[in-house]
Amino acid sequence: MSEVQKKKYSDKEKNSIFDNEFMPHIDSMYNFAFRLTFDEDDAKDLVQDTYLKAYRFINSFEQGTNAKAWLFRILKNSFINEYRKKSKQPAKVDYQEVETYYNSESVDYSITSDLRVDAVKDMLGDEISNALNSLAVDFRTVIILCDLEGFTYEEMAKILDIPIGTVRSRLHRARNLLKEKLHSYAKDMGYDTEEE
Amino acid sequence: MDNKNNSSGERKLECGDVSKCFQLLESILDGEDKDASKEVLKEKLSKCQPCFEHYHLEQAIREVLKNKCTKQDVPSELAACIRQKIEDIK
Repeated sequence: MSEVQKKKYSDKEKNSIFDNEFMPHIDSMYNFAFRLTFDEDDAKDLVQDTYLKAYRFINSFEQGTNAKAWLFRILKNSFINEYRKKSKQPAKVDYQEVETYYNSESVDYSITSDLRVDAVKDMLGDEISNALNSLAVDFRTVIILCDLEGFTYEEMAKILDIPIGTVRSRLHRARNLLKEKLHSYAKDMGYDTEEE
Repeated sequence: MDNKNNSSGERKLECGDVSKCFQLLESILDGEDKDASKEVLKEKLSKCQPCFEHYHLEQAIREVLKNKCTKQDVPSELAACIRQKIEDIK
């Protein structure tokens, strides 16, 4: 067929897939969009665009595969390709830039943190949220996908179009940056962060 | 942290292979290393203080993220809005 996509599903099937497999993820999609854009209207637009694209390209969705990962990939690409261009805010860190500088898969695991478990557990939602939001978008994204949404490394690799080794190293770096942030909050809260 | 203080005396204070151990622990926490049995993990954590601390800190961070960063209220009209737009393009 010369068309962009083969007609695979009937209208009835399309509606069923859309209602039963796509729409249930709207909460996660909105949370992801909001944490990428930091703006309610932009997040709404991004989620809406994503669902419209998902419907338009529904024939390229394979039933039985992970709909949530498929939707997240569309949302992430929409964010990079369209939303970011429209946004007046200059991107702090460019995805491409990160590809070049941060993609080394060798990770230094010897960096340890003085951050204490009880300090982390006492953190308020706003502090955790602010720490997460302060990370550059690529680091923020891997933490959202892994810790908030529970995607596997393999699913994350597909959503982000990067190798699994890069997922692993980027996650590790992201968590180290998050720990640094939380550590400074812990100090402000008066926690003694020294080991002994 | 009483638990840590009470039992840290039995653990070695330096980890022999931080890179390998921490990577394994993080994989386990991320649900990637399903072959690693609970016994192996338990033994590792009971014998090595740096591993014990790293595991519990990483676990605590994952828990607070999961519990405190997913409660964004979705605008009530969003789903209806999407359905309307889909109807328009059908």
